[in-house]
Amino acid sequence: MMNYVEHFPALATMVLFLGAFLVTIFGGKNKTLRIFLAMAAATASFVMVLCVAKYVIIDGNIITYWLGNWTPVKDYAIGIGLEVDSLNAFFALLVTLTTYLSGWYSIKYMSRDEGGDYYYTLYLMLSGSVLGLVLTGDIFNMFVMIEIMTFACVALTAFRNWSKGALEAGFKYLVIGSLGSTCTLTGIALLYAQCHTLNMAQLSAMIAKVGITGNSTMILAFALLITGFGIKSYAVPFHFVAADAYMAAPASVSMLFSGMVNKAGVYGLIRVCYIILQTMGLGKVQTLLVAVGTVSMFVGVTMALNQHDFKRLLAFHSISQIGYVLTAIGLGTALGVAGGLYHAMNHTLFKGLLFLCAGAVYYATGRTNLNNMGGLAKKMPQTCIIFLIAAFSISGLPPFNGFVSKWMIYQAIYAKSAQSFGYLFVTVVALITSTLTLASFIKVTQSAFFGQSRPEFDDVKEVPGSMLLPMWVMAILCVFTGVAPKFVTEKLITPAVNAVMSVNKYIDTMMGAGYTEKITGSAATEISAEQITIGNWTPVMWLVLFGIVLVAFTVVAVFGKSSRGYTNNSKEQPDNKHATFFGGEMATRSTVVGSDLFWGFRHNFKGYFEKLEGIHSGVVNDYAVWAIGALAVFVMYLNAVL
Amino acid sequence: MFDNLINKSAAKSPWLFHINAGSCNGCDIELVAVLTPRYDAERLGFRLAGTPRHADIVVVTGPLTAQIKDRVLRTIEQVPEPRCIVTMGSCPASGNVFKDGYTYAGPLSKYVDVDVDIAGCAAKPETVLEGLYQAAMILEQKRKDMKNKGGQI
Amino acid sequence: MFNPMWLFYILVFPGALFCFVAGTLLNGLDRKVYAKMQQRIGPPILQPFYDFMKLMGKETIIPYEANKTVFLGAPVVGFVALVTIMLLLPQFGFTAFGELNADMIVIIYLLTIPAASIIIGGAASGSPYAGVGISREMVSVISFELPLVMVLLAIGKKAGGDGVTFSMKAIADYQAANGAMICQWSMIPAALAMLLVVPCEVGCHPFDVAEAETEICEGPLVEYSGAPLGVFKLNYYVKQLVVSALFAALFLGGKGTGIVAADAAIFYGECLLVTFFSMTLIRATCARLKVEQVFKFYWTVVAGLALVSLVLAWFGL
Repeated sequence: MMNYVEHFPALATMVLFLGAFLVTIFGGKNKTLRIFLAMAAATASFVMVLCVAKYVIIDGNIITYWLGNWTPVKDYAIGIGLEVDSLNAFFALLVTLTTYLSGWYSIKYMSRDEGGDYYYTLYLMLSGSVLGLVLTGDIFNMFVMIEIMTFACVALTAFRNWSKGALEAGFKYLVIGSLGSTCTLTGIALLYAQCHTLNMAQLSAMIAKVGITGNSTMILAFALLITGFGIKSYAVPFHFVAADAYMAAPASVSMLFSGMVNKAGVYGLIRVCYIILQTMGLGKVQTLLVAVGTVSMFVGVTMALNQHDFKRLLAFHSISQIGYVLTAIGLGTALGVAGGLYHAMNHTLFKGLLFLCAGAVYYATGRTNLNNMGGLAKKMPQTCIIFLIAAFSISGLPPFNGFVSKWMIYQAIYAKSAQSFGYLFVTVVALITSTLTLASFIKVTQSAFFGQSRPEFDDVKEVPGSMLLPMWVMAILCVFTGVAPKFVTEKLITPAVNAVMSVNKYIDTMMGAGYTEKITGSAATEISAEQITIGNWTPVMWLVLFGIVLVAFTVVAVFGKSSRGYTNNSKEQPDNKHATFFGGEMATRSTVVGSDLFWGFRHNFKGYFEKLEGIHSGVVNDYAVWAIGALAVFVMYLNAVL
Repeated sequence: MFDNLINKSAAKSPWLFHINAGSCNGCDIELVAVLTPRYDAERLGFRLAGTPRHADIVVVTGPLTAQIKDRVLRTIEQVPEPRCIVTMGSCPASGNVFKDGYTYAGPLSKYVDVDVDIAGCAAKPETVLEGLYQAAMILEQKRKDMKNKGGQI
Repeated sequence: MFNPMWLFYILVFPGALFCFVAGTLLNGLDRKVYAKMQQRIGPPILQPFYDFMKLMGKETIIPYEANKTVFLGAPVVGFVALVTIMLLLPQFGFTAFGELNADMIVIIYLLTIPAASIIIGGAASGSPYAGVGISREMVSVISFELPLVMVLLAIGKKAGGDGVTFSMKAIADYQAANGAMICQWSMIPAALAMLLVVPCEVGCHPFDVAEAETEICEGPLVEYSGAPLGVFKLNYYVKQLVVSALFAALFLGGKGTGIVAADAAIFYGECLLVTFFSMTLIRATCARLKVEQVFKFYWTVVAGLALVSLVLAWFGL
């Protein structure tokens, strides 16, 4: 007897696509109806995924769902199957949460743009495709979803086609995205040629039987799949297009890109490496993923230090943070995967939040260039606080969530470095990257929110409540996942990690009990991998501690307080006493613009930065060459070592 | 409870901000001489602050030229209460040889209440130390007065 | 779950009160010794305390361009972070929150909070001098972060035996069993590197590029006055204490006497020694570096020293 929840994975995906069609048909004229339809679809899918998450992650079931009831015949999967274990449910949760919050935000944010019906159609298509991608159990179905995703992304990137660079970014995305899809498709075709099946569970069992080592077709397929999903997750050297796309797209869409589209790439990599080809046990594959991750981390953050566009800067940080995730999952240890998944979730939260802040600033001032901003903290106090929360989260300051996941990742890498010296280097890079992240967010804080205000910002107002609401929700989630890591790990992360580690159970659930044993000869057991840490971190107690000291101090501060001179009326000229000190001169406008900050650092790395800027040439041909070159390197490397 | 302590500390840790209002540099180097090992003003808690916001005592040297008058007054206004204003050398108090010059806009006491005048051209370090010490005492008194006046600090 | 001893730990020893008293005293001694080295009489040992009290009694001017909440809140957050570090550092056998068993990553990140608080507070004041100052402060944070991380990793390897460890407790235990870390010859370069990291971390003289009062009017603190400035000054004193204590905990640990009070006294003595060698001595003999020189110095010389130790530790020496 099937539980009704088991229909939800398919329905949650369908309802988003259905919403897309309904918006196209009925939402052309009526603005309210179109928003209602879109939000209804997003809400329905979010609620369904919540039910699924409870059923799968908390109750420990695995949902297997054969579309059209095409169950396997003679142990061969013919139909399309959906298999939802804790890993899928975890990513599905991220996807629908992002969709839902982005939807709320879009209502006001997109109200000034023309063509809202196209926007909502594409938005729902994108969400539906990513949700389908993370829920499916069929690798070709995954490819179909990738295609839909890529084209929705292209259209949304170029959505503000009147703005500078949007069409160009769309075109770049089209080229590189198609390249990624092609790689994936070729990889899938090779796997199909070898195993005659497209079901992921069955593929996994078949490949485990023959083994990948020495089988150059398999290795080629593996390299192609890594490249394909690498392009979707924008790891270096496939990251070039991300910067353009994130910058050109509306903020609510940038949030979708960083919140779920590149998470889809990460999900794909985890599925391919851990489940389908089961290659993560091999040290050489770990080295490859960790190398890609480490380079992404460092290149992303150093490029971000150089940017002066708010959203472009955030885009490079996305690359850097995905580097952390890839490094962590590339370690192949349970703690590593846990850290990687935790960081993926945190990245969805804080980076989405940062993009929303960038959008709020754009909504209020019409600018994204950091050199033309300043003093917004007084005009938009709530946005400023939210931005600070997000910035501290991404920089990993305790007690925010970025710290927890980075902490887990450092533990994992450092524990691994007991075996090999190279991982020590990775630890150092990861820690330095974190500091550089803080540096570049200081730059944003200084240039956008603090510093002297500009006269043209006199009429700037805080963004409306419907935009602040999703931002506050995410900010609270950022703090919550930071102060209650134990709760989050137990309820959400550990089941997902166990799902990643229990390959045979995944196969058996899909293909029927005993299938794995028949094919590979090893029985299916659920592995609950122990996450061994080499340090300690219990933030709740510290929070108590932080709180007590803070209270004690505030008491002292309040009693010792004296009256303060303060003018906060923006219209009136400040008196001399409260004016900024300018060495005695009249206070004039003179800010240190973002590009000038940290020159002491940049000066010493001049050669490196010049080279890096040369590589980011802006020519799509170069980018394609990089992608193909990376593919070639992957193929050669994997063929040489496996 | 802490008021007494704060009043005492006000005299024991006066930080200086030095403004050159068109001085010939003679007084300026004498002020620096006060901080050298021989006179060591730091033993009384004196310290040069980098910004008027940190200062307790503003030391003005030079005759207050027309060009710099507004800047000096603005800077003095940016010093938080309680504060002392000390003129150093004859120039800011009387104008000295610059008195009838067309650039002269002084004396400083025309615009603000000066607490201590340190005489001399250039003032001797011993005199400077004496004057600054007096200013520190005045600071303590000012702090007390302010507290008694009803907390407008 | 809640232990009444905690309140004592947090508020008195080694928490807020101890940090306040020991920090001001440490700074006072530092200034006294510094003056003696220049053949001056120097300020009274309680001078930092007077400075703090005086600032508490001054008027607080909140400039027109400043963001009030952040401007006033930043110093307090920095202080809290510093006190938290002090609570987590093992002093021989004794750690205030021993059951929490802090690890080095946490301490690295908590150490960036005071710097971040200066930066955010300075940024919130809206002054261009502060703009230059925060940029320099951030660059110096980046500068010392690399050697600091490498030193900590080297110690983690050394104390971890076959594996590696991040736990401060494991490091304290290792030193209790094998003598102070500085007695291991392979750790001497790391100790030297750490000795050089300390002044930059605190932001005292040759590396005080951020607050260069003769160049950029005290940088991030330019607009601060009165009580918040007092708290920032206090943060500086406490930072001297905390960073010296970190050095002492990492390199000068050992069995101790078993009596908490005696251990604490010895520990404080070690902090004084570290302060003298790493801050007073360098401060009295060197001129301020330029910001790019600071960066270059830390990423080449100091990081090189740390790397030597790291490699040696890796080969089991």
